[in-house]
Amino acid sequence: MALLKRKSGVVSEIPTASMADIAFLLLIFFLVTTTFEEEKGLPIVLPEAQAEEVEVPQKNIVHFLIRADGAVVVRRGESITEQVVPYDQIEQIMRFEIANNPNIIAALKTDPKAPYKHMVNVLDELQLAGADRISLQVWEK
Amino acid sequence: MAAKKGAFQRKSGVRSEIPTASMADIAFLLLIFFMVATTFRKEQPRPVVIPEAEATQRTDEKRKNILHVYVETDGSIYINDRLVPSFQVADVVRPEYVKTDRRLVVSLKADRDAAYEYVNAVTEELRRANAVRVLFSTDLERRLARARR
Repeated sequence: MALLKRKSGVVSEIPTASMADIAFLLLIFFLVTTTFEEEKGLPIVLPEAQAEEVEVPQKNIVHFLIRADGAVVVRRGESITEQVVPYDQIEQIMRFEIANNPNIIAALKTDPKAPYKHMVNVLDELQLAGADRISLQVWEK
Repeated sequence: MAAKKGAFQRKSGVRSEIPTASMADIAFLLLIFFMVATTFRKEQPRPVVIPEAEATQRTDEKRKNILHVYVETDGSIYINDRLVPSFQVADVVRPEYVKTDRRLVVSLKADRDAAYEYVNAVTEELRRANAVRVLFSTDLERRLARARR
């Protein structure tokens, strides 16, 4: 037996030197293939279907009407005067309205044929202005 | 110290090798961490170009409570890799809403050029399904880009 032991010079160890390389290779593969998908956007809470209709006095409403071509029209309450405003002024208008009346509701009425991006642009401006009472509607003429 | 030149080399018995034996353990530990932390997305993403908004916020909601609803330019609606007719969206969303213990957040990924009537049809259906927490999915927009709009 003692003779047998000494005869072979072959090392009976698993070569672990390359183990780190293998592991790091796999690690880098997972690092590269992992994509972190984050959910981001404009949060809004829709009114519930069963919610009863609440009559809001017209003086507490400011209408933002989006035409099919993307032009935005502002109409305050029951007043008939309509005013076309550029996008970069919507935030200021809304801030002004909130400062005047904290209970103001922004009614965002979009033409059914208007591209979605225009509605998001206006919603973006309203949220930047800090409006939390926003009503989304279709503009029925 | 008045040591002779060359004495330094022989004096110390310390080996100047980086111990690489534990390297594999470190690497495997990191590897296992990434394997466990990785979650594969449930569905195939649809080719929609979502709009940009400056007020874009990140949601804290857990991934399992989020349902993606894709609205394409032609108005076709996709939920969980399936084309859903607009009047059936509520029927598809309602079981998801119950499954998530009423904590469902619908991430509405609508194409920026889709007509608003399609988006409105989806939100009306979501109201019918009681899934009232909606996230209009957008990309963050820089102020400089906004000025050009």
